[in-house]
Amino acid sequence: MKLATARRIVYLILAAALFMVAALQVQIGSRTLHDPAILTGYYLFGLMVLLGLFNLRKKLAMIPLGSAAAWLRVHVVGGLLALALFWLHMGRLWPDGFYEQLLALTFYLVSFSGVAGYVLQRAYPSRLTQSGIEIIYERIPAELAAIREEAEALVIKCAEETDSDTIARHYLETFHWFFSRPRHFWSHALCNRKGAHWVRHEVDHLRRYLNEAEQTYLDRLAELAVTKNRIDFHYSAQSIMKRWLLFHLPVAVTALALSIWHFMLVHVYAL
Amino acid sequence: MATSVWNTGQDDPGQQQTADGFMVLVENSFAMMARPQRWDSPFGPDMTDFDVEMLMGLPVIAAMSPERFPKHTPLTGILKNDTRLLDFKAGEIVVREGDYGNSAFLILDGNLRVVLAPNLPRDMIGRQQAKKKNFFQAAAQLWTNTWIPEVRDKTRYADQASHAHGKGAETHVFLQDIPAVLDQYRTAQLTVDALFGELAALGRVPRTASVFAETDVKLLEIRWQGLREIRKYDDSFRAAIDQRYRNNALDNALRESELFGNLEEEELQRVAESVLFETYGSFDWNISYKKLRSSGKAGAQHEPAITRQGDYPDGLLMIRAGFARVSVKLGTGERTLSYLGAGDHYGFSGLYYAWRDGETRALSASLTALGYVDVLRVPAHILETYLFPKIETLPPLLSDLATGRRLSEDSAMEWAVEERFINGTKSMLIDIDRCVRCDDCVRACAATHGGNPRFTRHGKTFDHWMLANACMHCTDPLCMIGCPTGAIHRSEMGGMVVINDDTCIGCATCANSCPYNNIRMVEIRDMDGTALIDPDSQRPIVKATKCDLCASNPGGPACIRACAHDALQRVDFEGGSIFESFRR
Repeated sequence: MKLATARRIVYLILAAALFMVAALQVQIGSRTLHDPAILTGYYLFGLMVLLGLFNLRKKLAMIPLGSAAAWLRVHVVGGLLALALFWLHMGRLWPDGFYEQLLALTFYLVSFSGVAGYVLQRAYPSRLTQSGIEIIYERIPAELAAIREEAEALVIKCAEETDSDTIARHYLETFHWFFSRPRHFWSHALCNRKGAHWVRHEVDHLRRYLNEAEQTYLDRLAELAVTKNRIDFHYSAQSIMKRWLLFHLPVAVTALALSIWHFMLVHVYAL
Repeated sequence: MATSVWNTGQDDPGQQQTADGFMVLVENSFAMMARPQRWDSPFGPDMTDFDVEMLMGLPVIAAMSPERFPKHTPLTGILKNDTRLLDFKAGEIVVREGDYGNSAFLILDGNLRVVLAPNLPRDMIGRQQAKKKNFFQAAAQLWTNTWIPEVRDKTRYADQASHAHGKGAETHVFLQDIPAVLDQYRTAQLTVDALFGELAALGRVPRTASVFAETDVKLLEIRWQGLREIRKYDDSFRAAIDQRYRNNALDNALRESELFGNLEEEELQRVAESVLFETYGSFDWNISYKKLRSSGKAGAQHEPAITRQGDYPDGLLMIRAGFARVSVKLGTGERTLSYLGAGDHYGFSGLYYAWRDGETRALSASLTALGYVDVLRVPAHILETYLFPKIETLPPLLSDLATGRRLSEDSAMEWAVEERFINGTKSMLIDIDRCVRCDDCVRACAATHGGNPRFTRHGKTFDHWMLANACMHCTDPLCMIGCPTGAIHRSEMGGMVVINDDTCIGCATCANSCPYNNIRMVEIRDMDGTALIDPDSQRPIVKATKCDLCASNPGGPACIRACAHDALQRVDFEGGSIFESFRR
C-alpha cells in the first residue's frame, strides 16, 4: 500500500472516530435535556474555520506551515466529516426556515463542488498526460495563434503552388471555424473523442477531391488540426481544473459568513 | 538545397536577400564555406607575434621541444591562440577556492600567495553567506514583496567587503587588507615561472585553494585546450603535471576507492606510480552536446569512445570526473546498461575473470564519454600483481546487467542519460499524472523570491514524468565555468549551486553554459520600480537568476511544500536508484 493511501485511511478512521464521539455526545445530551445541536454547531463551525484555513495556507507559501499535501488530506477528510456533522447538527437533510435553507444550500454547494473538484483533479491529469503534449495554460492562446497562422500560410501556399482552391475553400467553410479558437469544450470536458472525430471526418471528406500535391498539404493541415485538437483538450481540462475553485471558494466564503450570522443569532436569541 | 551567407549587397539573380539584409547564395547541390577551425576564436585576441616570441624565451617554455608538436598544432600557435596575458594589481584574487576553472596560470612577473589554511572567508572572495530568514522575516515577505518583480536595493552593490571592477572576463575581485590576510592565514608564495591551477583545469574539479596577487603581477593564462595539447606533445611537461597530480591527489583517490582501500601503503604507492591519466570529450561539452542534438544525432555511437565492446582490455578504468555511459550493441543502436560517475570504475570484473581463468576476454560493453570525462587507467598487470590475488568476493560481470531486464525497464535511464539529466542532484521531477497544473508551486516560488519565480513548470517529459526547467544543482556544474567574479558557486551548506546577486555582473556566461536552459537573465529595477540602465551602454542591468532551493527561507524548497497533490519532488540521479520510482 502506498504511503499516501495509508495516510488517507488513517485520516478517514480518525474522522469516523471523531464523528462517533460527536454522535455519542448528542445521544447523551438528548438524555440530559441539553440541546445537542449547540454542541454539534460548535464542532461544525470550528471545522469549517479549519477547512477555510487551507486557502490561507496557500497564500502563506513562504512560511513553513506544513506541506500543502497534508493540508489537502485534512481538508478532504475534514470536508466529509463536516458534511456528516451538518446532518447530525440538523437531524435531517433539509431544514425549515428561509435563512437556514439558504445556509444549507450554500453548505451543500460547497460540499458537492469540493467532491466534484476532487474527482476532477484525480481524473484529468492522467488524461492530459495521455494526450501526448504538455502545455502551460497561459501559453495556449499563443500556441493556437501560431498553429492558425501556419495553417493559413499552408493553405495559401497550396493554392499558389497547385493552382487549385479546393483546400482553401474547404478551409474557409470548416477549418477556419475550428482553428479560430478552442472548440468542442464540453466534449473534451467529458473526455469523449468528438473533436478527433470531427478532424478525421473533415480531412477524409476532402481527400477524395485532391491530387497528390494537394494531399501533401492536406496531410500537414491534418497534423496541425490534430495538434490543435489536443491543445483544445488541454484548454478544456485545465480551464475546468482552474475554474471549479472559482466556484468552490466564493461559495465556501458565503457559507462561512452565513454560519457566523447564524452562530450570532443562536447566541443572542436561543441561549 | 544548401545555402551560404555573406554581406555583399550585390544584386545578383543567384542571390536572395534575407530579412536582415544579408545576401544568400542559392546553389543547386552544395555551398562553399570554410570549415570552422579550432583557433577561429583565440583565447586572447590581443596576443601578438611579439608576445609569442617573448613567451618562447621563458625558461619553462624554452625547455619544451617545439619540434615534437605537429604542424597543425605548433607550440607557437598554442601560445598565440590558447593563451592570454593578464595583469593583476596587488590584492586581486586570481583563483578562488571552490571555483570550477578552465585554465591554468604561469607567473611571468611578480609574486602571488596561495592560501593554505584556513580558507579565506567566503564573503572575502566574493561569495555570499546564505542567511536563513526566521519565521517572522519569512512571513514579512507577504507585505514586503512588491508587485514589480526583480526589485533590488542598488545601494548594497556598493557596500561589499570585496569589490568588482572592470567588465566581463576582465572583472576581478580584490582583497582590501593584504597584511592582515598574511597575518591571519597560512599562505605559500608563488614566484616567477610557477604554474598553478592546472589540476582543476585538466581534471574538471573545483579549485582547492584561493590565490591572490601579493604584488602587481603579470600572468600567462592557458586555457584547458592549450594545456591538453602541451601535455600531449611535450613529455617533460606531461611528466611534471602528472607528477604533481600523483603527489597531491592520486593517493587519496585510490585510498578512497572500494578496490584499493585495503592495499598496503607500499602497494598503493606502486599502483599510483603506474596509473595513466586520460581525458575524453570536450571540456565545454554543453556546446558539442547542443550541436549533436540539433543535428538529430543521439546515442552512444555518437559519443567519444573510451573503449568499445569487443576491444581487449588493458587496464581498469576509473572515472575521476564527469560521466560515462556503459552500453551494448542492440540492433543498429546501443542499449544503455548503466552510467558511471566520479569514483565508479569499469572493466574490473572482465579483467579479473580473464586472469582467474587464464584466458583472453574481450569487453562485453562499450564505455563512452557523456560530455567531459577524466579517467585513470590502472594497467592490468598491476591489478594482477597487487589486487586480484586478494579478491575474495567474485565481482559481477557488466554483461549481467542486461540479463532478465526488459528494454522498457531501462527506458527511463536511457532517457535521462540521453538528455544528460544524470547530472542533476536536485532535479525537479513532476508526476504529471498527479499534477493538476494549478501552478501553486510557481506561485510559492515567486512568493519566496521577490515576486518572480525561479523556474518554469515546463520541460522534457518521459512517460508521466516531467523534468521541469529548474536548476538541477548539477554534479558537474558547467554554469560555474568561466564566471568572471565567482558569483555562481556552491554553497557551503548543502553544496547547492547558488548565485551571489551582489557580485553577479550579468555577463550571462552561466546562462549560456547551462545545457538545460535553467538560468534566466532578468532585468532589475530599483526599489521604486525604475528600470536600472547602464549609463555607458544604455542597456538594462541584468542579473542571473535560478532556483536556489529556497536557501534563505525556512522549511526548504517552497515548491515542494506548496504541491497539494504530492506531484513534485526533487531527485538525485546519482547511483540510479531514482529509476525505481520511475517505474511506479
